[in-house]
Amino acid sequence: MLRRALPGLVCGIAAGVFLAGSVGGPTNGLIVGAILGVAYALSLPRVAPPGAAADRAMTAAAFGLPLWGAINVILLPIIAGHMPQWTAGEMRTLFPALVGWLLFGFSLGLFTTGAVRLTDHLLGELSPPPKPSLPEVKTRIVILGGGFAGVTTAINLEKEFRNDPTVSFTLVSETNALLFTPMLAEVAASSLEPTHISTPLRSSFHRTRVVRAKVSGIDFEKHQVQLPDREETLPYDHLVLALGAISSLPPGDGIAEFALDFKTLADAMRIRNHVIDAFDRADAEPDESRRRALLTFVIAGGGFSGAELAGALNDFARGILADYPNLSADELRIILVHSRDRILPELSESLANYALVRMGQRGVTFELNARVSSARPGVVVIKRKAPEEKDVANETDGIEQEIATETLVWTAGASPNPILKDLAIERDKRGAALVENTLAVKGHAGLWALGDCAVVPDAKTGKPCPPTAQFALRQARTLARNLRASINGQALKPFHFDSLGTLCVVGHHTACAEIKGYKFSGFFAWFLWRTLYLSKLPGLERKVRVVSDWTIELFFPRDIVQTIDFGPHAEKSPR
Amino acid sequence: MSTSSKTLIGAVIGALAAAVLAHLGLTSIGQPVGAISLGAIFGAGFACLTNARSTSPGAGLLWGLAYSFLLWLAGPAGFLSRHTSNAPMGMLDTARQHFPELVGYLLVFGAPLGLALGILSARKRPRDSNVIPFSLPRALVAGGLAGIVGGWAFGQWMEKAHFFPLIAGLVGSSSPELGKLLHFIFAVIIGATFGLLFQRDVRGYGSSLGWGMAYGIFWWFLGPFTLKPLLLGHAPDWSLAQGQELFGSLMGHIVYGLIVGVIYAALDKLWVGFFIDSDPINRQPEGPGSRTLLSLGRGALAGLVGGLVFWPQIVAVNGLHWIARLAGGESSAFGLVVHLVISMAIGAGYGVLFERESPDWSAAIGWGMLYGITWWFVGTLTLFPIWLGASFTWTNSAAAAALSSLVGHLIYGATTASVYLLLERRHQDWMRLDPRFVAREARLQRPIGTPAPALWFFALGLGVLLPILLS
Repeated sequence: MLRRALPGLVCGIAAGVFLAGSVGGPTNGLIVGAILGVAYALSLPRVAPPGAAADRAMTAAAFGLPLWGAINVILLPIIAGHMPQWTAGEMRTLFPALVGWLLFGFSLGLFTTGAVRLTDHLLGELSPPPKPSLPEVKTRIVILGGGFAGVTTAINLEKEFRNDPTVSFTLVSETNALLFTPMLAEVAASSLEPTHISTPLRSSFHRTRVVRAKVSGIDFEKHQVQLPDREETLPYDHLVLALGAISSLPPGDGIAEFALDFKTLADAMRIRNHVIDAFDRADAEPDESRRRALLTFVIAGGGFSGAELAGALNDFARGILADYPNLSADELRIILVHSRDRILPELSESLANYALVRMGQRGVTFELNARVSSARPGVVVIKRKAPEEKDVANETDGIEQEIATETLVWTAGASPNPILKDLAIERDKRGAALVENTLAVKGHAGLWALGDCAVVPDAKTGKPCPPTAQFALRQARTLARNLRASINGQALKPFHFDSLGTLCVVGHHTACAEIKGYKFSGFFAWFLWRTLYLSKLPGLERKVRVVSDWTIELFFPRDIVQTIDFGPHAEKSPR
Repeated sequence: MSTSSKTLIGAVIGALAAAVLAHLGLTSIGQPVGAISLGAIFGAGFACLTNARSTSPGAGLLWGLAYSFLLWLAGPAGFLSRHTSNAPMGMLDTARQHFPELVGYLLVFGAPLGLALGILSARKRPRDSNVIPFSLPRALVAGGLAGIVGGWAFGQWMEKAHFFPLIAGLVGSSSPELGKLLHFIFAVIIGATFGLLFQRDVRGYGSSLGWGMAYGIFWWFLGPFTLKPLLLGHAPDWSLAQGQELFGSLMGHIVYGLIVGVIYAALDKLWVGFFIDSDPINRQPEGPGSRTLLSLGRGALAGLVGGLVFWPQIVAVNGLHWIARLAGGESSAFGLVVHLVISMAIGAGYGVLFERESPDWSAAIGWGMLYGITWWFVGTLTLFPIWLGASFTWTNSAAAAALSSLVGHLIYGATTASVYLLLERRHQDWMRLDPRFVAREARLQRPIGTPAPALWFFALGLGVLLPILLS
């Protein structure tokens, strides 16, 4: 330090000659010069690149300007009990001081660089500062699941720990992208390009390692995650279960074999291609009953995803009729089968009725108080509730009806990821992990769970939170905060969140919304839906792509290019 | 070329320049031999000092201009004027008397010396894989188009000041239309030379803005001061009175330079994006869209802090009422709100224009002050009067009246830039744990060794000094 300060002191005094007229006399000039010289020399990096003298001299000269402004124009008049001298006339009187500061800066930069070089030459060069080595990772956090809950947890962990290199994050996901499920129905209906609603995981993080793999098991004793696809196990200190849910197709009765899922991007693409394939085949089908069967699309489940898919498919199918002059709108049926007496149980009754009426006006047929009981190629069997039964799901003797169709889409239920069944943790009857309101799994230190695979009690109400993305996002924030608190030995924060509301699109320019108790429907609700979900879609690039798709749709018909072959030699893709 | 060869060339050019200056009567040394000797010494000193920095004609030109400006400050405006009079105004008056030397130093000594050494160094410049190679068509097309836009803006004042017939006088005509055509031809030529000279050093909008301002000031000295009278067959008049007469033209040249700088950067980026960055093999992990949003947010926050620091100065000169009128109000509280909103908007602009331009604090303060003084010219002297329904005057009396806010603008710029760098570093720190981002950050960050320090000194020094001298 002294080796640097001394040349700075000498050069500061030498350059301080120029400050004689700027700071009230030669002595003051030398003192101010000495102080600034020492400060300047100490601020210089140890190693000067070639040509540094010119850079430093000119930069320091330019710095004379703010020093003149701060000291002569503002500070010295204030110290003397006057107003700053910043009128044109006053600044002109300070012209000599300005010249003094500019020359002082230049001299200081030039002299100090030279003096430091001379010192290095005489006393030997200082070794460059050693490059700081990254400290060892002390805490390994592994997140299982690449859905909303997992990805948001990783993003929030990065924010919580910022550049702390002692903590590492690893996210294990079966897919390489985060799927934005609220827009999935629009992919199935050919309104959005499939990849536009998926964000690549590897582009989403700054420092989280992404491992694409299935999880075969977790060793709680050794703190290791087993990955069957890879010859490695992932050690962890903290493990976050964000495994999500899968479709629960009922076994037997042919449904699992015949129905199309509606959970993943591939499912949505398959549905879209299946509809186009059905139209192409119907166009060539001379038999009227076969043609009607091909143009009948059954959707099981009248919740959010089922209603949105039915509305979107109805728009798509009726829209592409223009490309099939042999087919008539009368032959086309979109049937929504729901086990209760009204669709959309997540919404209030008036909005659900609005959706029912609007979708009916647009051509969707409803089979309420009914459920799909079995399926086989060409036929879907639905069972209606007998008049005296309260819940069709538990009925024993319903009225069965066969619907001739080639298409059944299953949206009627989801269950937590089956991996959880193999873990020695407390679960509810659906198989979801029971966690405390801090999101810590009961009885397992360092184990956390959130999202669809967990039963998270709200800290205020004590009731389990609904398994929606809205809650998963907030849980992820709390979990990241609690993880940091846990590592730092601080108190954990219980989770509480009041739902903002729900939105559901049921057709072209038509939606239902219930936000903080206020109900909206029609065009405004649809606009609200698009605006809100667009803002929630991760990544600016994806937003631009989706807006571009929506804009193109205003002027051009939806694409009916078939990209998956369902011909006689094509197999149904494994689910 | 070795350092000693360059030093020799510098000495020769310096001596020749001093001989010309002595011939024109623009040296403070009485004997021509003494002036030539000093010229040789200063030329050699310049070559030694900027040996590793004058790496292109544009870089050399800027270093040369800054160096000659410094010599003028140290000589005629500094030591000699102090020797002449101890009274502050006496020194200013002496410096004003030596204004012709300033023009002479810049045009006869600094510019040729810097350009020559820059041209010599550019021929031997090693290729840097991190730098996009120089492209002549890009420089000419982007610079020429930028010149047209800048010329249009400058033309607004020229039309008002009935300047076009004077330009037409260059070809013996007094037709305003012909004058306008000639004006646009000059604007295109100057824009194209901007691309040729500075394409290697310009990286973002902000730095291009600074380069444009410096180039605009340079062309004020070269164009209306020197070339115009020469083309009209007269001897150039480099007197202070002529400078005061041409103050409006100085403002026009600065605005022209700023516009050329920004438009050139935009076209250059478009060109690079279309022909180079869009190539998948050059793809980066983070697109420019995300970066821009982040920079806007950081800049707005930094601008808010800058605005708060600027606030006491505005209160002291009773400026809040004036600011309130910009949004149709009167009260001081409303003026403060408007001031902070404007500060945030201008700060957001800083974020977009100057992202990754500052490798360290000194660079940040340098760019920040340059941005601050730019807004003094563009905002206080040009846009705000227009906004209030008046017309911009660009007179030295208007500049004198607004001089009090110049210091505030410099403080605002320096504060905004410092806070912005703090926020930018905070973001970069955690990114540095990822090697992909480390490599990208290194590529995007302005390297050490560009003529930015010369630019700060030249543009800031003259940006502050000329209004004081000429008003």
